[in-house]
Amino acid sequence: MRPARSLSAVLAAALLVVLGGVLSSPPPVHPQTPDVWLNIIGQAKKINIAIPDFTLVSGTDSQGLAKQLPGVAGKDLTFSALFTVVSGVPALPANNPAALREAWANFATAGAHAGLQGLLTLQGDRAQVEMPLYDLISPEQPLIVSKKFEMPLTQARRLAHKAADEVIFRMFGEAGIADTKIAYVSSASGQKELYMMDYDGAGPTRLTSNQSINLSPSWSPDLRSIAFTSYMGRGYPYLYRLFPWENRQPQLLAGYLGINTSPAWSPDGRLLALTLSKDGNPEIYVLTLATGSLRRLTTFSGIDTEPTWSPTGREIAFVSERSGSAQVYVMDAEGANVRRLTHSGFNTQPRWSPKGDAIAFTSRQGNHDIWAVNTDGSTLRRLTAGPGSNESASWAPNGRHLVFQSNRLGSFQLFTMLADGSEQQQLSRSPGETTSASWSPRLP
Amino acid sequence: MSHRRGSVFLVAPLLVLALFLVGCPKRPATMQAGVAPPPPTVTPPPTVTPPPTVTPPPTVTPPPTVTPPSTVTPPTSPTPPRVSDFTENPNLKDIHFDFDKYNIRPGDAKILDANASWLKSNAGNLVLIEGHCDERGTNEYNLALGERRAKSTMNYLVAQGVQASRITIISYGKERPLCPEHSEGCWSKNRRAHFLTKAQ
Repeated sequence: MRPARSLSAVLAAALLVVLGGVLSSPPPVHPQTPDVWLNIIGQAKKINIAIPDFTLVSGTDSQGLAKQLPGVAGKDLTFSALFTVVSGVPALPANNPAALREAWANFATAGAHAGLQGLLTLQGDRAQVEMPLYDLISPEQPLIVSKKFEMPLTQARRLAHKAADEVIFRMFGEAGIADTKIAYVSSASGQKELYMMDYDGAGPTRLTSNQSINLSPSWSPDLRSIAFTSYMGRGYPYLYRLFPWENRQPQLLAGYLGINTSPAWSPDGRLLALTLSKDGNPEIYVLTLATGSLRRLTTFSGIDTEPTWSPTGREIAFVSERSGSAQVYVMDAEGANVRRLTHSGFNTQPRWSPKGDAIAFTSRQGNHDIWAVNTDGSTLRRLTAGPGSNESASWAPNGRHLVFQSNRLGSFQLFTMLADGSEQQQLSRSPGETTSASWSPRLP
Repeated sequence: MSHRRGSVFLVAPLLVLALFLVGCPKRPATMQAGVAPPPPTVTPPPTVTPPPTVTPPPTVTPPPTVTPPSTVTPPTSPTPPRVSDFTENPNLKDIHFDFDKYNIRPGDAKILDANASWLKSNAGNLVLIEGHCDERGTNEYNLALGERRAKSTMNYLVAQGVQASRITIISYGKERPLCPEHSEGCWSKNRRAHFLTKAQ
């Protein structure tokens, strides 16, 4: 057999490995193949990609972006667990096709399957990068795609994130999640305040300074606002939303007697599910943002709380102690057809995967750990197994990664993992405790 | 079905392959054969440098979308007094709760009886009942549990003849522990209802 001669052949091999695990007979690869759920993680061979330093086409690179950005993109692709990355090597020639060809050939000899070049143009307060992606397995080094991204210089890191997300899109059919933010709670100032940062921990930015208690941030699907609970003002736990990109005061969403907690946006962003105790005990309601109208969904005399929407908007999972201990239930978005999803232990913080197939939750058995279960109640699996407590998972928009909090190293800090629990790594290293992460949708 | 665990991509294999066929039009033979050639031997490249440390730019990003602000009708509820207007009152004693419970224990009922007597004979005072939890359990659930503890306490006082209109409740969940240690000795102290008062 001849060695693989193109990137597509390597990917085909990877897919065959995956399909081989799913099907018992050799998989048919033809146009009539139906959609198949592929677990690329841990099954497919990683793609080796070379990302040399970017080539400065014009302008003055006073920030060292030509070296910095390929490192950022490389870290993004490594984080995806789909790539092995080579970066930190000298830039490629810009206008010398023969030299470029030879450079890529050398990378191919070293084992690279693909090469990503960056042509950086800096002009005033704008940064632009053109990023040709080459197939290095084929001797012809065909161009897979070349995209141009432009950003204000202050957000130049996003150029690298955009490039990494595009590479993943081209090779795996869905964009990566590098150009996203994570909102969270930090007690670094002495009080619990809200912050946000890039998904990789860069650029932490404080969002509240009210010196009360701020809890449960939740990104709106349009990225415009973050709903949260705060004890600011009169001192009671009311529900607000703040506008992280605008010079604007938080807006009160629910200030009823009792608790106003657990905000959860519907996928279309028009509705907010929340917990109110104004009618005597914690129940789940749905607020229509445009009108302020409120609809009550649950009517149990004990605790019902922590709603989370299915990505279709047709169902809501939530926590109830109606069986005697906290368990996860699912109901339709009108509150009917309640079914129980978890059966043992003490289970809170359900978070519906953006892919719809699974619900992550926190289970207490001594310490807390994060588990997941399919939405039909099957395939219950444990994602973390200590040390310490592992809580409050939030899904990346592609459903492949989760951010969560763990006190395994002392104070609570944020960690990430793949959705099968592998690749756990620390994300935040801040004074005080860093908790309650909410992973944003992709930035536009 | 361990191989289907975890995160999955809903990807039609052909779609992915098609992307590469588009990218590599000269390689149809490989694809049509449906045979998986072994991936090339991978030699670790000589210069694998960890990504350089990145100094984040001070990001203040413009709004990603321009949607008109939605108009929300402010919720209408009777406005309770400001929490900061209430002060400690040595005449009112804390009560405590069992783990994950919000029922009033018999011993604590006696404390509440005494609190109710004081409140009835000092009718000029409003009372704020704080519901607290230990650190075990998650934030949102503990906010609900603290609410139930404050509410059970309020219901007991009302049953003893304290006017409901004099009582305000607030849940702090596990956000304001009295005792900071991570042990049952502290946890049992933190599962409590606490009382503050304010002259009417």
